[in-house]
Amino acid sequence: METMADAEPAKAKPRPIIRLGLFLISHSFIVSVACCAAGIFALLLLPILAKNTYISENALMPGSASPMLSNDDVSRARMFVNKVVSFDFKTDSSSIGIQDLVAQHITDLGGEVNFHRFLPQVNKFNPLHFFSSPDQGIAQENYTCSSYGINTVGFIRAPRGDGKEAIVLVTPYNSVKTSMGEALSLGIAYSIFSLLTRVTWLAKDIIWLAADSQHGEYAAVAAWLREYHTPSFDGSGRSLFESNASPTTGRKRPNDFLRAGTMAAALVIKVTDGSEKAERDVLNLYAEASNGQMPNLDLINVVNYLAVNGQRLRVKVEKLGSLLDSWWLRSLAELFHKLGTVARSLNPQWNFGISVAEYIEGSATLASSLYNQALGVPTGPHGVFRDYQVDSITMEISAKRVANYKNRPNELLLQGGRLVEGVIRSVNNLLEKFHQSFFLYLLTSPNKFVSVGVYMIPFALLVAPLPMVAASLFTDSTRRISGMGTKVASSPASSDIPAISFRSWRWLHAAKTVFIVHFWGAVVTLLPHFLSLVQDSSPLTNLLSWIILSAFTLLILQAILGSSFSLLHMNRTQGMEWTLLKSVTIAAACTGLCIMSVINFATAELGALMLVPMCLMTRPLMLDAKAKTLKSFIRAACNVVLIFLVFPPVAYYLWKGALVGLENARVGDFWNWVESLWTWNSATYIYMCMVHLPCWVLCVHTLLYPC
Amino acid sequence: MKEEEEKKNMKTKPHFWRWAVASVIFRLVLIYFPKNLNLATRPEVSTPVTSLRRLAEGYWLTQSSMSPYAGSMYHGSPLLLSVLGPLTMKKIEGQPYHLLCSLVSVIADFISAMLIRATGLKLRMAYCERLKSLGLGKLFEISEILPSEDIAALVYLWNPLTIVTCVGFNTTPVENLFIILSLYGACIRVAPLAAFGWVVASHLSLYPTILIIPVILLLGNGPDATPRKLFLMYKKDEADNSSKGRVVNGLSEQKNFSWRPVGLFFVWVFIWTLYSLVLCGIFMRNYGGISEMFNRTYGFILTVKDLSPNIGVLWYFFAEVFEFFRDFFLIVFHVNILFMILPLAIRLKHRPCFLAFVYMAICSMLKPYPSVGDSALYLALLALFFNELAEMQFSFFLFCGFVGVSLLSPVMHNLWIWRGTGNANFYFATGMAYACFQIILVVESVSAMLNHDRKIRKLVGTT
Repeated sequence: METMADAEPAKAKPRPIIRLGLFLISHSFIVSVACCAAGIFALLLLPILAKNTYISENALMPGSASPMLSNDDVSRARMFVNKVVSFDFKTDSSSIGIQDLVAQHITDLGGEVNFHRFLPQVNKFNPLHFFSSPDQGIAQENYTCSSYGINTVGFIRAPRGDGKEAIVLVTPYNSVKTSMGEALSLGIAYSIFSLLTRVTWLAKDIIWLAADSQHGEYAAVAAWLREYHTPSFDGSGRSLFESNASPTTGRKRPNDFLRAGTMAAALVIKVTDGSEKAERDVLNLYAEASNGQMPNLDLINVVNYLAVNGQRLRVKVEKLGSLLDSWWLRSLAELFHKLGTVARSLNPQWNFGISVAEYIEGSATLASSLYNQALGVPTGPHGVFRDYQVDSITMEISAKRVANYKNRPNELLLQGGRLVEGVIRSVNNLLEKFHQSFFLYLLTSPNKFVSVGVYMIPFALLVAPLPMVAASLFTDSTRRISGMGTKVASSPASSDIPAISFRSWRWLHAAKTVFIVHFWGAVVTLLPHFLSLVQDSSPLTNLLSWIILSAFTLLILQAILGSSFSLLHMNRTQGMEWTLLKSVTIAAACTGLCIMSVINFATAELGALMLVPMCLMTRPLMLDAKAKTLKSFIRAACNVVLIFLVFPPVAYYLWKGALVGLENARVGDFWNWVESLWTWNSATYIYMCMVHLPCWVLCVHTLLYPC
Repeated sequence: MKEEEEKKNMKTKPHFWRWAVASVIFRLVLIYFPKNLNLATRPEVSTPVTSLRRLAEGYWLTQSSMSPYAGSMYHGSPLLLSVLGPLTMKKIEGQPYHLLCSLVSVIADFISAMLIRATGLKLRMAYCERLKSLGLGKLFEISEILPSEDIAALVYLWNPLTIVTCVGFNTTPVENLFIILSLYGACIRVAPLAAFGWVVASHLSLYPTILIIPVILLLGNGPDATPRKLFLMYKKDEADNSSKGRVVNGLSEQKNFSWRPVGLFFVWVFIWTLYSLVLCGIFMRNYGGISEMFNRTYGFILTVKDLSPNIGVLWYFFAEVFEFFRDFFLIVFHVNILFMILPLAIRLKHRPCFLAFVYMAICSMLKPYPSVGDSALYLALLALFFNELAEMQFSFFLFCGFVGVSLLSPVMHNLWIWRGTGNANFYFATGMAYACFQIILVVESVSAMLNHDRKIRKLVGTT
C-alpha cells in the first residue's frame, strides 16, 4: 500500500523498491490469482510439511523413572470404585452424598479435603470478553436455582515443595447418577492419589478436583477455578463461598477454601466405553480451549510419549470423519504420493513423499484441528484452565474393558494410573511453567504438528493480494478522477489557477459507506442478546427475527447516516466511485483478517478462504452486462455464485451438508450454532458479524452498483 | 482516525451543533457503563502520569496526612490533586463513584472543542484574508473553502481516541484543554490567557513547555503571518495596480514582529508561574517541599522510572538497556525532541499553529508515557488545516494504519498479558508501528503544507 502514491510521470526513475511496488500493482490481477492459488496449494501441502513432535523441555524427562504405582494402590482403588458403583443414590442422597464418600477416602489417605459449592452459571455473552481478564467480578444473581453442585477437592502437600505450585487432576462425575466410566476415572485418580501421599519426590502440590458435573463438566470446573483465582464477595464483603452454610450432613465440613499455589498443569481424566473391535485401548486427546488456544505442545508430547511407549495405548486426536473417504482427497493424496516418488527417484535426498493413507489421515486430523480451533468453543473442561494460562489437556481413555470390568478390574486402573503418574512425575520436574515448546500449532496426528511459522504461509499468501489490489484500485481511481478533475477545473476559462481540490481525500465517501456497514455489523452482533432477553421461542423464529431486524437496521442506518450529509460536494465522477468503494472494502477486509489471524488463526484462515476470492472478484453487474462478452458473462456468474456461497447461513448449511448430509440439516440449526458461539464468547462470532458479514454486504453493494 | 469522523462533518451550523450535542450525549451514555468497558486499566488510555485512579490514591494518602507521592503511586501536579481529588471521593447516591470526575472530562472535552472551533475560525479568517490580500481571491470562486473550524471541533469530539480518553478516567482531557487554551489565547492575542494556559499545561504535563515558540510567534505575528517575500513579490508585480495601497498596508502590518504582546506574555508567565509555585509550595510544605514535587513529577517523567508497557517506544528500550548506559540514552532521547524544535521553528515560523501541531505530534512520539489522548489532540489540530492539506498524500494509507494499530494493540496486549502465548515483542511491535505511522503523518502533513505554500507562491508569481 505504501506505493499507492501516484508515481508522477515527471519523475524519471523512482527508486527500485517503488518500481517493484508499481510493477506489482500494475500486474495485480495475475499476482493475486497466483497468490491465491499458491495459498490454497500451500494449505493442502500442510500435512506433508508437518514435523514430528519432540520434547523440547529437557526437564520433563518423561519415562525416565519406572512407575511406582503398585497393585496395592490399584486394589484399593478397585474397592473405592466398587463402593462408588454400588452407592445407592436414591436412598442415600439425602443423608450422605457421594461427595462425602470421596472426601472420606481422601482424608483416610492423609490428604486435606475441602468442598466447593457452586451455582451453575449460565454462559453469558460479553462482547468485550476477549479484551478483558477472565471473569472479572461476575455478579452471581441466580440464587433461585435450587440445586447446588458440590465439588470435592483433595490436596496433597508436597514434602519437597514450598507450596507455591500445584498440579491439578480433574475427574468430572455426575453426583446424581455416576456411570461406570466416571467411577473408573475416579478410581484412577484415587489410585494416583493414594500413591502420591506416600512418595518422597513430590515437589509440587497435587490437587484432585472431583468435579460435580450434574450441571455440566465445564461449569463445575469453571466455577471452582473462578473461586480459586478471583474470589467473589457478596455485599457484606464476605466471600460467597464462605457465606454458604454447610450442606445438610451431620458432619462438620471444612468450610474455608483451600488453595495450593499456581498451577503448572492440569489433567482431565475420563474413561469411556470403547468399541469392542479395537485390539488396544485408545487414548483420545482433546486440547482445544476457547478461541483456538492450545496447551503447550510439550504437554501433549509427554502424554503421547508415555501412552505410546509406556502403556501401549493407541493415541488419537479428533478427525473429520467425512474427509476420510472423500474421492478428491484420495486422488490428491495419490498425486502427492506420485510426485514424492518421482522426486525421490530423481534425488534420493528429496524425501518428502508421504503415503496415501497417511496424507488422508493427516488432512482429516488437520481439518478437524482447524475446525475446532476456528469454532473457538473448548472441547472439554480443560478449556477453562487455558483462560487462566494453565496448560491442560483431556485424556479420555476409551477402554474396551469397561464393559467387562468385573472380569479384569485391575488392568485398566493400573494402565491409566501409571500413565497419569508418569505425566505428573514429568510435570513435577518442571522448574518454570511450560514455555519451551509451541503454543500455536495445528496437529496432523498425535505425534505430528504444523507450527505457526509454517501455517502462516498459506494465510499470508491468501491475504497478500488484498493490500495490493486495494492500492491498485485506489491509484487507478484517483488517477482517473484527477484526470477528470483537471478537465473540469480548466473548463471555467476565467483563470488558470488550479483549484484546491480534495482529490486525495476522495476516499472519505467510500470510507463513510464502509464505516456505516461495519457499524451495522456491530449492531447485528448485539441483536441476538436482546432477542434472547425478549422471548423464548424456537430457533427458527429467532433466526428469522434476527435476519429481519438486521435488514431493518441496515435500512434505517442507511437512511439516517447515509444520505444526510456528504463531505465534499464536488463534481461526482459517476461510475468511478465503485472502484474506491471496493478498494476501501478490501482494505477493511484485510485489516479484519489480519487482526483475526492474531486472535484466532484458524478462523482467519477459513474466513480468508471465503472472503478473499469474493472481495477480489466483485465488480458491478451492470458493467459486465454492458460489456456483453463471454468473459464478462462468466465473471458475473462467478460473482453471483460466490456471493451466494459466502453468505454465512448458506456457507453453514453447505458445511453441515458436507458433514452430515443436507437432509439432516434443519433451518433452525444455524441459530443454534450461532447461539453456541456467542454463549461461549467465541471471537469467531464477532468476526462473523463484524468482518465477514459487512464485507459481504459491501460486496453485494458493489455488485449492484449502478453504472 | 480523524478521517473516519470527518465524514460526520456538516457544512451548516445547525448540523454542527446537532453533532456536537450528540457527541456529548454519547459520552454521557458511555460514562454510565464503564464497568463493561474497563478502559481505566488499559495502558493505551491511562498512563502512570495521567491515571485518575492513581490520583484518587494520592488524594487518599493526603487525607491520611501522608505525602501524595509516597509509594510512587501518584505523579501528577498537587494542584490537580486538590481540585480533582475531592471529586474522586465524593459519591452521589446510587451512581457510579467516578461519575463526577468523568463529568469533568466531558466538560473539558466540550470546552476544548469550542476553543478549537474559535481558534479555527480565527485561522480560517486570517487565511482567507491573506489570500485576498495576495490577489488570489479567485481561488475562492473555483474551489470551496471548507469550514475547517467545524471540522476540527467535530474531529476532536467524535474521534474514537478522544472518546476513549474521556471515558477512560484520566486527566488527559484537562491537560489537553489547557494546551488548547494557551493556543487560543495566543491566537486572539490575549497575553494573560495564553500565559495562563501555557503555564498550567506545562505544569501539568511538562511537554507543552516547548509550545512557547508557537505561542510567541502567534502573539508576535498573528495567526497567519505571510512570509514577507510573498508581499514583496506581489508588490513588484502589482506595482501599477490599484490594490497597491492594500498591499503596502499588509506590508506595514507585516513588517515588524510586535514585541509588546510578547513582553506582556513573559510578564504574565512570570506571574502565573510564581502563583502556581506558591500554591504548590503551600500544598507541599508538609511533604518535603517543592523540590520533592519536582522530583516526583518532572523527575519521574524525565528519568522514565516506570517501565510498565504503554504505546510508546521508550519503556521497551529502557527495560533492555544496561544500567550504566541509562543516563546516556535518557539524554539522547530527550535531546531528540529539543533538536527538532529549532529547525522546525525556522521552517514553519509563518504558520505557528501548524508548528504547534508538529511539536505535539513529535512529543507524543517521544514521550515516555504517551497515551491515545495525545494523538486525539494533535489530530484535531491537524484538522484545522484541512483546506491547506487538501492534497496530502497517503491519507488513506495512514487512516488504515491508525485503525489497524488501534485495533491490534489491545489484541497484542491480551495475547501477552492474559493468554501468555505472546510476549513483550508482540505489543512493542504495535508500539513501533504506531510511532512509524505518526512519523509518516508528520512528514506527509509538513510536506503537504510546504507544497501548499509553494503553490501559493507560484500563483502569486504568475498573477
